[in-house]
Amino acid sequence: MGDADGRPTSAGRDSRLTIAGRELAGLRAEKTILLAIAIQLFIAAFSSFLVVGLVSMYDPGALGGAEVEVAGAGDAVSDLERAASEVEGASVTRYADAGAALRAFDRNAADAVVVTDRNAEGRISAIVTAPDATVETTVIVVQLRDLLRTYELNERADRAAYLSESPLPLPERTGTSPYFTFTYTVLIPVLVFLPVFISGSLVVDSITEEIDEGTLELLRVAPVTLGEIVDGKALAAVAIAPGQALLWLLLLRANGTPVANVPSILALMTALTTLVVALAVAISALAPDRRAAQFLYSIGVLVLFGGATAMAGGPANAVARLAIDSADATTTALVVAYVGIAAIAYVGVRRLVAENGFES
Amino acid sequence: MIDRLRRILRVARWEVARAGGGVDRRTLLAALALLLVAGGVLGGGLAVGAVGLDVDRDVYRVAVDGGSPYADAIEEAPALTPRPVNGAELGDTADLVVLDGRSQSGAVETVVVRASDTRKGEAAAAEFREAVEAHNERLMAAEENATAAFPVTVSLRYVSRTSALDEGSTLGEGDGGGGDGSGDSDGSGGSDGSAGGGSDGDTEGGTGATGSDFPGDDTTADGDGFAVPSVGGGTFGADTVGSPGSISPPFPFVSLLLAFVFLVPMNFLIQAYGSSVLDERTNRRGEPLLVTPLSPVDIVAGKTLPYVAAALLVTTLIAVAVGGGALSVIAVLPVALTFLAATFVGAMFARSFKELTFVTVGVSVLLTTYAFVPAVFTNVTPVALVSPLTLVVFDLQGEAVSVGEALFSTGPMALGAALLFGLGLGVYREEDMFTQKPVGRKLLDALAVRLSAIEDVDLSGLVDRRRLRALGSVAFLTACTIPFVFVAELLAVATLFALPVTVSIPVLLVTIAFIEEVAKSVHLYAGFERGVFARTDRVAVAVGLASAIGFFLAEKATAVVQAVGLTDLYVGRAAFGSVAGVEGLSPVVIAALLFAPLLLHGFATTVAAVGASRNRTAYALTLALATLLHAAYNFGVVSLHG
Repeated sequence: MGDADGRPTSAGRDSRLTIAGRELAGLRAEKTILLAIAIQLFIAAFSSFLVVGLVSMYDPGALGGAEVEVAGAGDAVSDLERAASEVEGASVTRYADAGAALRAFDRNAADAVVVTDRNAEGRISAIVTAPDATVETTVIVVQLRDLLRTYELNERADRAAYLSESPLPLPERTGTSPYFTFTYTVLIPVLVFLPVFISGSLVVDSITEEIDEGTLELLRVAPVTLGEIVDGKALAAVAIAPGQALLWLLLLRANGTPVANVPSILALMTALTTLVVALAVAISALAPDRRAAQFLYSIGVLVLFGGATAMAGGPANAVARLAIDSADATTTALVVAYVGIAAIAYVGVRRLVAENGFES
Repeated sequence: MIDRLRRILRVARWEVARAGGGVDRRTLLAALALLLVAGGVLGGGLAVGAVGLDVDRDVYRVAVDGGSPYADAIEEAPALTPRPVNGAELGDTADLVVLDGRSQSGAVETVVVRASDTRKGEAAAAEFREAVEAHNERLMAAEENATAAFPVTVSLRYVSRTSALDEGSTLGEGDGGGGDGSGDSDGSGGSDGSAGGGSDGDTEGGTGATGSDFPGDDTTADGDGFAVPSVGGGTFGADTVGSPGSISPPFPFVSLLLAFVFLVPMNFLIQAYGSSVLDERTNRRGEPLLVTPLSPVDIVAGKTLPYVAAALLVTTLIAVAVGGGALSVIAVLPVALTFLAATFVGAMFARSFKELTFVTVGVSVLLTTYAFVPAVFTNVTPVALVSPLTLVVFDLQGEAVSVGEALFSTGPMALGAALLFGLGLGVYREEDMFTQKPVGRKLLDALAVRLSAIEDVDLSGLVDRRRLRALGSVAFLTACTIPFVFVAELLAVATLFALPVTVSIPVLLVTIAFIEEVAKSVHLYAGFERGVFARTDRVAVAVGLASAIGFFLAEKATAVVQAVGLTDLYVGRAAFGSVAGVEGLSPVVIAALLFAPLLLHGFATTVAAVGASRNRTAYALTLALATLLHAAYNFGVVSLHG
């Protein structure tokens, strides 16, 4: 370990802080941290663009009600009209026959045509004609689906006697913002974890660059141990992460998205940063040069977070549950576990490096 | 020429040998081991069911009686987690309380949901309703009497309006009925079809019977005929048959995901490439190569070639794996080139590996979103074609793409890549490669390299061939910025999209004015700062006008954006207002509209150029002034067009 050679602890801590300060000064001089924040801002803005775009295609009602005019025909059209009266944003106009309905569709008097008929055994066939490849197609099809599902529910209710188990009554339809779930389950975890990757990448660069330029050898001539050098670099990288995350959470709060359990989220992300930084130190100790190190680091982080996200109770889900205020004892235990894992991983890697040194 | 090719190949071989040394066998083995471990863990997790990409797992807490049938519905929904009703407090330990009212026989007759009075409560209530719907679908799927469970069979087809009547008669023929498209034969024919196949009541039967009418992909309806509405499955324009729940809105979800796979390897590629370029620059390693008779173009081309080849190879492999054709490869190639070009510029400008990392992350984020996001709107709006990835989605869906579309999609990106390489090559020289200059100053260097000297002379001396050529190079450089200006404007439109229109339009107008003013004047500033231009007002006015003319001509040349309907979007019109809506105006007004932008550009750029010829502060001030002028003009145009 770093202090095993009997140097006073205070001196050891000082040199660590000095190295950390030097790292941060380097970042400041290059203004790279500003670029990092700009990138994160861009991702945040763009993902909201993406989600607004997607949601407006899937849930047109959410963006202020598109009215879909359906031309109906066939012998079961009265039930369709009944269903339409229950669905917001869809209305059915009855036509004498399918030909008339299609002609209405062709002269733009209707957005879609539904021809419904009862067959011999009491089933209903609905032949739906929707316009091809226009901007409105998706909107129309989504509304049509709502209409036809309501229709199906009504018909099913009429046939309830033939069912062995009747469907459960649905609760009232309520209004909600489609962005709500997305904000908490995707946007917040992404924004919280971006600084984690950036910190790890910084450590890889910082160490491999020193090895590459030979300055690490110089540093070793100075009265600091290898463990202290690693400590200092790790400290700087870990220190800049929670600040960025906090910035995002405050920004979201100012924007009307309350984030609960901020201290726990920061603790969790700091633990993950430490874990990723430990991974970064280990990789730069083992890999022969920067290119290999960055390559391995990318793969390693991809594996780590891909795996952890896919698992039940992964960090992304934990952050989502903390932020939305649905945390329970399991989530707290998870945070503690991550802190423990991170501490063990870092101490282990540090010991490994302090004893074996960097390969170069 | 042959000689040059041989030189480039020699550099390329050397680069391959060196890169092979960098990522050695042990690294590859380690990476492989990591991936194998991950694969094993994921596979094991899948096997025991502990793995699911439900990011929203258990985010809403629902208090429900354990014996209630709704508890099953909640159990099945990943986003909901059940809580005991006793002791549940709304807003504190639960977001919803579900109470069911049962009849004497035990069947559920009513359900009362109390949600906490927050946005979270609303979201939870909506999620709960969906969960019950999904639960009901599952119940019905298990029913024996499928006719009662799924009383409605839907056949969905897409018909283009102009040919709707023809299609209508096709419908009649397919029914085996009248063939005149009259409603009655149509309708009864349709029901006959369902009856024929629907005796077992399966949606699949319905598919079989009506399949002849609807040549779309039947598999969609077969596979998830009774599933909850899914985003996957149906590709665009596929006609579907099934229960109402199986209707999926036309959205090329799978193709889009597959298209994204093409972008993933780029991120690794640019990491290696950026390192290789920056490696040349640390410890003056690139110097020996620079003093050989090889020109910088040869060196860079040689160094880049292996990475282009690797990108081609990987793209081809992916295309074969996901079922894409040559079009996919052709479409991804410009994207790969742009990735490499942007990384090259970044690596030429960066001072350290740390800075390079940020540049690489920035490049991949920007380009991935730029390539991916428009492709989401494939088939929704022609604007999607600005991204070559849209071509990949078309290709994967098996849709035809015209040559014009392919060119429109890939051309600008390829041009952008070429321009970026040109920019980076400007500083591929001894005095810039091995020095630690800030990024901004390197950029000025790279721009100044492309300019030729202009000294101060009186007006008669201006009409001199050499000087005209120098002014021409100013105009040309401005014209070259057009692709980047459009990209920046598109990104600005996209980023500001989320804001309300009252905020986004003014912000957008100013942003766009700023982007254009910077594009027109930043190289002028570089020219004055690097001493290429004499610092006099006369020269400033001359280069300002030249730059404005270059910009004006290039912008008019790109009036093609109108043809793709970009101006249909309201925000798009604000961005590209100057090329839209000139129909129905008198010739005088058209001429005025045509030359008003020229006047504006000329005036604004001259203002900025005069500031640029002084110093940095003056440039910043005049740039702000020019931006405001430009924004005011844009605002006038937008209000004129309504």
